Amino acid sequence: MESTLLVQSLLLALTTAGLYAAIASGLTLEFGVTGIINFAHGEFVMLGAFLTYFLYETAGVPPLAGMVLSGLAMTALSWLVFDGFLSRVLKQDEHNQILATIGLSILLINLAMIAWTPDARVMHAPALLPPLQIGDVIVPGNNLVVLLVGIALYGGMIWFMRHTRQGLLLRLAADDPQLAVLAGVDVTRMFRLSFLIGGLTAGVSGGLVALILYVQPLVGVDLVMRAFAIVALGGLGSIGGALIGAVLLSAAENLTATFVPGGGSWGYGVAFVIIVLVLVVRPTGLFGSERRA
Amino acid sequence: MKTGLTRLLPYVLILLVTLALIWIDKPFWIQLAIGVAITAITALAWDILSRTGQVSLGSAAFFGIGSYTLAIFEPLIGLTLAWIAVAVVCALAATLLGLLTLRLRRMYFAIATLGFALSMQVLVVVFPDLTGGSGGIAPPVLADGDPRWQLGLIGLLLLAAVAISDTLLGLRFRPAFFMIRTKPELAAASGVPVVRMKIFAFIVSGVLIGLAGACYGGLYGYVVPTDVFTTNWSVLPLAIATLGGMDTTIGPLLGAIALKALEEVARSVIGGTGYQVVYGAVIILFVIAMPQGIVGLLRKVGTLTGRRTATGEKKKERERHA
Repeated sequence: MESTLLVQSLLLALTTAGLYAAIASGLTLEFGVTGIINFAHGEFVMLGAFLTYFLYETAGVPPLAGMVLSGLAMTALSWLVFDGFLSRVLKQDEHNQILATIGLSILLINLAMIAWTPDARVMHAPALLPPLQIGDVIVPGNNLVVLLVGIALYGGMIWFMRHTRQGLLLRLAADDPQLAVLAGVDVTRMFRLSFLIGGLTAGVSGGLVALILYVQPLVGVDLVMRAFAIVALGGLGSIGGALIGAVLLSAAENLTATFVPGGGSWGYGVAFVIIVLVLVVRPTGLFGSERRA
Repeated sequence: MKTGLTRLLPYVLILLVTLALIWIDKPFWIQLAIGVAITAITALAWDILSRTGQVSLGSAAFFGIGSYTLAIFEPLIGLTLAWIAVAVVCALAATLLGLLTLRLRRMYFAIATLGFALSMQVLVVVFPDLTGGSGGIAPPVLADGDPRWQLGLIGLLLLAAVAISDTLLGLRFRPAFFMIRTKPELAAASGVPVVRMKIFAFIVSGVLIGLAGACYGGLYGYVVPTDVFTTNWSVLPLAIATLGGMDTTIGPLLGAIALKALEEVARSVIGGTGYQVVYGAVIILFVIAMPQGIVGLLRKVGTLTGRRTATGEKKKERERHA
């Protein structure tokens, strides 16, 4: 019985890890390239979740298509946000950079509360895949979708960074912006590109959120806090580290919730303990390399 | 150079406004003033820490620790000692966090302090026997619940915060603080005790925020963890100091007045849900249009009308961008 519980817990952890990895890798890409932590990243996920939810509930758009549309919408919004004001804070002091995206986050959360009330909603879509049964352990179909889409998003980003010209330029802009300028790379364009990719992954991840979690204005805060922990584990700016971080965090969370008495109420507390511990032991993240901070 | 008169202006203003409000005794204005004073104290404290290059997102931790320490210690050791305990516990927490985050730079520091603040909230929920869990805790009511005396006491604390901020902007500390921020290696090489100064700033900042939090808890004699450990109390000080004007004493004061006034207007127009939308809008506008805050704008106006020498202004600029 104990071992069934353990396997069930770990398998569910694995599926949420797909979602976490997709969200954290967007965040870490944006940071790696621009040096700005996008505190509003979670709100793009939240907007994507609402969009997928409303597309399904009002227009009957299937959730998978809704996810794609959410991704595109959040890409467009990221473009607007970046050219509208984020590009102007790139050269400012760090407190202004932190404040800029926090301001955006507060704005989006409260607009969502005014428009859609703070109440939690559930998307009543039928499961996209049949549940998977292994022995006594059952994994719900939507969790499988989350795992598959999350991994696809993450894999797509890794492929883009490693095997395309734009990805190469992104890595150059991230590693050494001055050298990139000398090499004739339009760094501002690369900064924008990193935010567009971040917006795309956040929007699609929002669709995943609508599949397995409640849709509500504060859902992005919960997720982005976990993403911070993942990024701290994997190293700020390291996309490769994001997957390891995501697996470790969701395993730690699910095991705490299953086996520690009252551990369910710890919530993302597990994530924060991880953040503080990791940053103290190794300021560049467990799997991060020594780089600019 | 600042004249003696402008230096005294914040003190005189705080004293006059506080006394006037106590005299007039209109509940709405007293509550508003208490709100402004508490946020102004946290913003001044945040600014003091930021002068050593430590841009913190962990103010809420000290705010909450302050109110919880007062509530937990008061039944055990009495009111006076409990207030001293607030200062001591906050100083210890600040030293601990300061030492832990000593090596972290920029964004890493911000994330670590944010993590610390939110871990505190979880700790409170995990140890309900000591802290009352998510149900909250009852700190002793400040000044027997008389709002006028409450305003008076909090006004005094604000005056103390202003005096401390001014002292740290004086000749004795200012050069060391700003050198630690802009060129830490150079500061160490020229004999500035970098670690001690950074921890010192952390302690001063943490104790001030903790005392403000204890006052806040004492307003109604009841707090829940989501009241004091919320990210709001980490973001507000940063927002207010930046909007008002960093590295000054008057900046956080102006910022607190402006933001609180705006909040009241928004609350009456939009209602209780989502009124904070104005925070987001104002922050974005300021970051784009007035990155140096209200004080920066006033300085610019001052320069244009020729009340300030151009060289003094340039020196300021250089200091900021060094």
